[in-house]
Order: sequence, then C-alpha cells, then structure tokens
Amino acid sequence: MSPEIIQAPEWAWYYIAIYFFVAGTSAGAYFIGTMEELFGSGREREVSRAACYIAFPLLTLVPIPLIADLGRPERFWHLFVYNQAGYPYLNLQSPMSVGSWVLLVFSVCALLSFLDNLVADKIISFPLFSRYYNRIPRKLYAVIGSLAGFFIAGYTGVLLNVTARPFWAATSPLMGALFIVSGASTGAAAISLFLIWRKRNSGGEVERLEAFDRVVMVAELVLLAALLVMAGRTAAPLVSLPFIVMFWMGTVVFGIVVPLWFKIRSRAERFGANPVLAHYLFILLGGLLLRISLLQAGQL
Amino acid sequence: MPKGMFIDTTICTGCKSCQVACKQWNGLSAEPAHFGRKPGVSYPVAHNFTGDSYDNTGSLSATDWRHVRFVEQIDEPRTQKRWLFSSDSCKHCTDAGCLNACPTKAIQRTDLGNVVVQQDTCIGCKFCIPSCPYGVISFSEETGTARKCTLCNDRIHNGLGTACAKACPTGSIRFGEVADLRKRADARVAQLKSKGEKAQVYGYDEADGLNVFYLFVDGPKVYGQPEHPIVPQRRLVLCSLVTILTALGIGAAALVSFRERLNGTSEEGRHES
Ligand code: SF4
Ligand code: SF4
Repeated sequence: MSPEIIQAPEWAWYYIAIYFFVAGTSAGAYFIGTMEELFGSGREREVSRAACYIAFPLLTLVPIPLIADLGRPERFWHLFVYNQAGYPYLNLQSPMSVGSWVLLVFSVCALLSFLDNLVADKIISFPLFSRYYNRIPRKLYAVIGSLAGFFIAGYTGVLLNVTARPFWAATSPLMGALFIVSGASTGAAAISLFLIWRKRNSGGEVERLEAFDRVVMVAELVLLAALLVMAGRTAAPLVSLPFIVMFWMGTVVFGIVVPLWFKIRSRAERFGANPVLAHYLFILLGGLLLRISLLQAGQL
Repeated sequence: MPKGMFIDTTICTGCKSCQVACKQWNGLSAEPAHFGRKPGVSYPVAHNFTGDSYDNTGSLSATDWRHVRFVEQIDEPRTQKRWLFSSDSCKHCTDAGCLNACPTKAIQRTDLGNVVVQQDTCIGCKFCIPSCPYGVISFSEETGTARKCTLCNDRIHNGLGTACAKACPTGSIRFGEVADLRKRADARVAQLKSKGEKAQVYGYDEADGLNVFYLFVDGPKVYGQPEHPIVPQRRLVLCSLVTILTALGIGAAALVSFRERLNGTSEEGRHES
C-alpha cells in the first residue's frame, strides 16, 4: 500500500515529449533569428532567414501529437471556446490553457515571418500587396513572436512543475528554465544544420551563433545539475535502466558534454564537415531525450 | 452554504455499503473479483484481489469513486491488533487543484460547493489528474474523459443526501452543511480525547478546507492521505518568475554574443582592408 497516491496523467511520451521538443526547438530558433535580425550586423541575414524557414514548418507538426493525445480529440476546440456558453475561455492558473492561446499567437507570428522570407527570396509573391511590402511591421511581430516563443519553450516545464507528481513537484521551479535553455540550444543546432544544408555555414554570423550556443549549453549543464539536486530521491527512476542510456548517455554525455567539448575545441582547431554535422545532430537528439526522460521519470 | 460530508472513521465497520451505493447510483461498472483459470496454471488464479486486507479496489479510479481502505496495525510482539477503516472519496476542496488546472472549464464548482466534471465539456487532456494533491480524479478509457465523485450532484440539488451517506448503516458518513458537520466533528473529537484517544480532524486547513473531511485516530499517512498536501498551483508564481528570469538571461546572452561579435568582425574587417 503506497500511502501517497498521486496519479500520473499517462501522457504518451511519443506525443507529448515530442511536442515539447519540437515546439521548444521552433521557439528557440525563432528567438535566435529575431535577435540576429534586431541586433546583428544587418549585412548577413542567413541566420534569421534560416530561423524563419525552420520555425513555422516545425510548428505545423505540433497540433497532431497534441490533439492525438486527448481522450476526446474531436473536442480540442474546447481549449479556446467554452462549449456550454460559446464564449472564448482562458484560465490564467492553467499553463495548459494559457499555452494553447500563446501557441496560436506564436504560430501566427511564425507564419508571417515565414511568408515574409518567401517573398524576400522571391519564391512566392503577392502582387496585390507588393506596394505595401516595405511598410510591414516585421520587427513588431518578430518581437511578439519571440516573446510568445519564449513562453512556448518554457511553459511546458512550468506545466510539469505545477502538478503534484513527486518528481515534477520536487524539481519546481527549475523545469521551465531548463526547457527554455534547452530550446535555445536545440534551436541554434537546427539553424546550424539548415545552414550546412544550404552550404551557408561560414562567416561571422555563424561564429556568433556558436558563441551564443556555448554559453547556453554551459547554463543547461548548471541547471540540469541543480534540478537533479533538488529532485533528490524523487529522481530515482533516472538511475534505472532505460534512463541510464537515454538520460545519462543520450542527453548528458552525448547531447551536452561531448558537443560542448567539441565546440570549445573547434575554436582552436578545425574539424572536418562530418563531425561538425554529427555534433549538431547529437545536440538535437539530446534535447529530445531530455524531454522524454523528464516526462517519463515523472510518470513512473 | 457549502454542503459536504464528515467521515467519522472510528465508527466505520468496513462493510463497503457506500462503495456499492456509489456504483449503483452513478451507474459505474464493476470489476468483479473472481477466481479464474489461466492457461498453463493448474490452480485457479485470483483476479482483482488486492491481497491487502479486505481492500478490493486498492485505490480510487474512474469507476471507483468511493474506496474503503483497511489498515491492519499489529504491534511488534504480535499481541495487540487494531483494525482501522476509512471510506475515501473526492474531498471537494475549497481550493481545488483539479479545477484550477482545467483548461476547458469542464470542472466547475456548483452553488453547493461541490466540484463537478462536466462530461460533455472535458476533452480528456488529463492535466487535472496529476494536479489533484489527493490522487482522486482519474481518466476513464471508456469515456475518454476525467471522472470522479460529484458529491451526488443530481441528488443534492434535489434535496437528497449523497448515496453513500444514505447507505452507510453506522452513520460514519454524514452529509450536510459543512458548518454543522464541523460542529459535530469537534464534539466527537472532544469526546474521544476525554477517553484518551488521540483523535484529530483532517481537512480543516488542507487546501483551504475540505468539504469532505475526516476524523482520524492516527496520522493521515496511515489512512493513505498526504500529510501536507500542497495545491500545486501555489507554485505557479515562483515557477513563472524563475522561467522569465531565465528567458531574460538567454536574451542577454544572445545580445552580448551577437553584439560583441559584431564589433569583433567589423574590426577584423578593418584590419583586412
Ligand atoms: S480531492 Fe482532488 S479531485 Fe477532489 S476536488 Fe480536490 S483536487 Fe479535485
Ligand atoms: S481531462 Fe477534462 S476535466 Fe481534466 S483538465 Fe482536461 S479537460 Fe479538464
């Protein structure tokens, strides 16, 4: 007989953890793109372009797992409209409610930036609107989108922290912080991969991105350590079998420590293209395994 | 005026009438315990027996809105034995974690203070389930929604008491105005204390007051209740602040790395030219 029986929600990791990861990466990339747009040199626009091309397409994947995990998927719209009375509903105490609304805001901003870049790259054109093209408030929605993006990256962690499950409760208030930092790091990795694919991964811009990512990954390690200390005995699942491989090897060693070491070394020496490509993939995989581990460790 | 229930565990006999009445009134399916054949096993195998005293469900669930817990206390030399029973359900908290968490307004408090899940609004997001500090509300695979005790919402709005209180043959479960029930509880605690029992009421302060509260003669943990339940949303402000601060930190890191490097590269550019 276990004295305290706080039930797990049994959220399916292949829906919810993947959502956490995809949304976090999209938000991280969008934020980096905006910062580069606002504060970068303005001569090179590769990073912010890549960010816009990553953020929105990733977001289009998001509704699928979110809706699929519901017990009554056909009612997903109840998140926005109170079905008994027909008015819009927002519950400020519920990260799930606020998150749904902010996800809408973020999606709109990411879509606008995406279209904007398609037009700038002459892939599509809107003849009707071309006269107004220079008057579009693109900085405004980039900033709104970045703030919304931060929210999207972080609220998933806050959502776990404000439950009564022992591991999620014990790691309060650090989960949101960790997810934001991880989102920034995987976002940067996604941008870098995109630039490698477009063969544009050189120049001052890319170096600035790397410098940013080094700081972020150090912060991620520190936060992760603090989180584990706070979790104490509630983190017991993390030292059982699937997690030893997934969390300690996948996230900590190959997802953060090895890529970070690689990044610090690669300032001095030059590696070939393949190891560079691989270390970005490791960062992404590490971010995904981080979400799966922290979700499942709270549900066991 | 909120209505609620007072569970005097000291006069419960563990007959489970309340469990049965609850299932009948609310039309909840049963999971019958029985012995059955299992391929490859020569003897009949027990299904749905917890093996834990006379406990037959083990916990509350989507189809068990009431659960009688049996606690066998035996001292070290195995000479003294005490058997404690406690009939458990949703506590209809004044500050209800499940209600706070629900993103669809499916969980509502009625004018009588009870907390009800509207089955035609719930989307089955399952966020309320880990948000209840008592592990009460449960997800039903059958309906795809969250389900729990409604304090017999239909009965109490038509002048009846709850089905479990009606069925209870000893008066251990009492339905009524919370204020009246508290007076009754205090009187009973005083009575037991005068006889040297260490009696206490569980549910005056927890979650701003539980509309369904208990009289215990041992620690809450013994009865399967958390000692210090915390309404999880009370962590929301701190969590949000720390997350916002981190976001600001990341923003500052981006600013510094993108700015600094900008100067760096322009200087390099100057050297080259
Ligand atoms: S006991 Fe749990 S399910 Fe019942 S009202 Fe309180 S938080 Fe909600
Ligand atoms: S499962 Fe239903 S009742 Fe529970 S939080 Fe989600 S919508 Fe609300």
